[in-house]
Amino acid sequence: MLKPQAGWQASMLLKAWDDYVTACQGVMQRIQDPNANPGAAMSLPFFGAWQEFAQALGMRADVLAVDGLKPEDVMAQFMPALGHTREYQTTLQRMLELGSQFQRRYAEFMQHGADIGQRALQAMQKRSAADSSLSSSPAAAYEAWIDCAEQTYAQAAHGEPFARALGELCNLLSAFKVERGKLLEAFARHLDLPSRAEVDSLHRQVHELTAALHEVTSRARQPGPKRRKARKPAGK
Amino acid sequence: MSDGASMQEQGLAALRALREIGEVEVGLSEKECVFSDNKVQLYRYTPLARSAGLPPLLICYAMVNRPYMLDLQPDRSLIRELLFLGVDVYLIDWGYPDGADRLISLEQYICGYLDRCVNFILRQNSIDALNLLGICQGGTFSLCYAALEPRRIANLITMVSPVDFKTPENLLSKWVRHIDVALLTQSGNVAGELLNLVFLALMPFRLTQQKYVNLLQAQSDRAQLENFMRMEKWIFDSPDQPARAFREFVQWFFQENRLVRGELLLNGRPVLLKNVICPVLNIYAAHDHLVPPSASVPLGAHIGSKCYEALQVDVGHIGMYVSGKARKLVPPAIVNWLRTRQDAL
Repeated sequence: MLKPQAGWQASMLLKAWDDYVTACQGVMQRIQDPNANPGAAMSLPFFGAWQEFAQALGMRADVLAVDGLKPEDVMAQFMPALGHTREYQTTLQRMLELGSQFQRRYAEFMQHGADIGQRALQAMQKRSAADSSLSSSPAAAYEAWIDCAEQTYAQAAHGEPFARALGELCNLLSAFKVERGKLLEAFARHLDLPSRAEVDSLHRQVHELTAALHEVTSRARQPGPKRRKARKPAGK
Repeated sequence: MSDGASMQEQGLAALRALREIGEVEVGLSEKECVFSDNKVQLYRYTPLARSAGLPPLLICYAMVNRPYMLDLQPDRSLIRELLFLGVDVYLIDWGYPDGADRLISLEQYICGYLDRCVNFILRQNSIDALNLLGICQGGTFSLCYAALEPRRIANLITMVSPVDFKTPENLLSKWVRHIDVALLTQSGNVAGELLNLVFLALMPFRLTQQKYVNLLQAQSDRAQLENFMRMEKWIFDSPDQPARAFREFVQWFFQENRLVRGELLLNGRPVLLKNVICPVLNIYAAHDHLVPPSASVPLGAHIGSKCYEALQVDVGHIGMYVSGKARKLVPPAIVNWLRTRQDAL
């Protein structure tokens, strides 16, 4: 089973995933148990064929029976995207993969937060031991706590691991948004709504026209060379 | 009454008073929009005193926050102090960029919008050069502009402006190093809410907890609570950042530090700080957590101007705009410095 590290959101998601995996494992066990499932004899040949097919493709067909299943293992088990919805399948798979990666990184990032909290508490304990006045004044104790917390946080926040974790989270979310945008772009086209690509194209044209207008206006404002008077045509 | 009970009573009083405060007003000094270009507006403030006889002062504020911080309320207004000292003040308001602005480049903001605002003021006043006050990110823009158009800037003042983006104290710079900003901006503008979270994350315990605890403990006076709410409004009123300009700013300045390395190109022209030849006054905050002094101080070593002065003010980034200390010190320092430069001509 997966062990949530920190962060209630991450924990909830991982718990839900564990429950789902447990349920799937239960179903598979019942299918393979002839005593529990009288129709198992009929199911098994299909399951065996599936195992052979999956193994031929280099996939793990017994994935649901494996304890300690991770979301990314399941992602790897998806059938390769095929058919007329191939592009959508690919995008969805990528979104699932990114969502799974994000949850793992988020749990790691929350661990940074938990470590900072723990170190701040230790610093506060030291300070309380050195300054007895803190125990008699809630306001002073609170100020001291904020100082300890902020100093401990700053120390971690300036460090490379914290910055890297923050960067990874941000990059995963950005990548997720890009994939989501691909789906929205397609849906907009199907619903005959203006898509982001169309609007961007129009904006680009407006910007180009505006830039050209500025150029012309700017040139018109500059004092140009004096024009010569037109000569009178000869003989008139 | 015990300390705890007293705190509780004070807190309840402050909460009751807070409930009665409606929407707070900001940016009250009289001004007129004299020029606009897309969402960018150029304001000219109504004079409050006899002219000091100085060239107009154009204030170029950052795009990441709203410029009304400079005129938050009558008794906390850098602009008002400058007006009382006889300065003709113009202000660029970058507006709230939206999806239609996602393709606008940094070059268009600096060599386009800023340049057209400068040109408008020069034409309106029939002068060849103006004074430019660049604040925070706007100071970086102003330095770029002064390097590209040195003849149009008579004097340059930078305030809490980053120049060297890669110093050990610069936490923002450390964080953005690992961020793929091209990927971040691929799906459009960067939400102001995201920037708010990043700014809060620089000092999370002070900015999300202590500030409010202090408010409940110390303030139940209506005027003080209104001051607090004006500040609160400003802090969370961050415009979305136009995708392309934001990407270029983060990549070129924060990640590649091109300005001090002399590697920045705008409009196909190199932006070289040595081309900043006008007199420069660099004002920075000693306790700035957003733009640490180490990011501002190096300016003097990079510019070509022989007339450079630095002024350290013993405040933080926000305190530079609204603290009593800065209010007493900064506007007179700016005007006296400009007068000295004017007399030297």
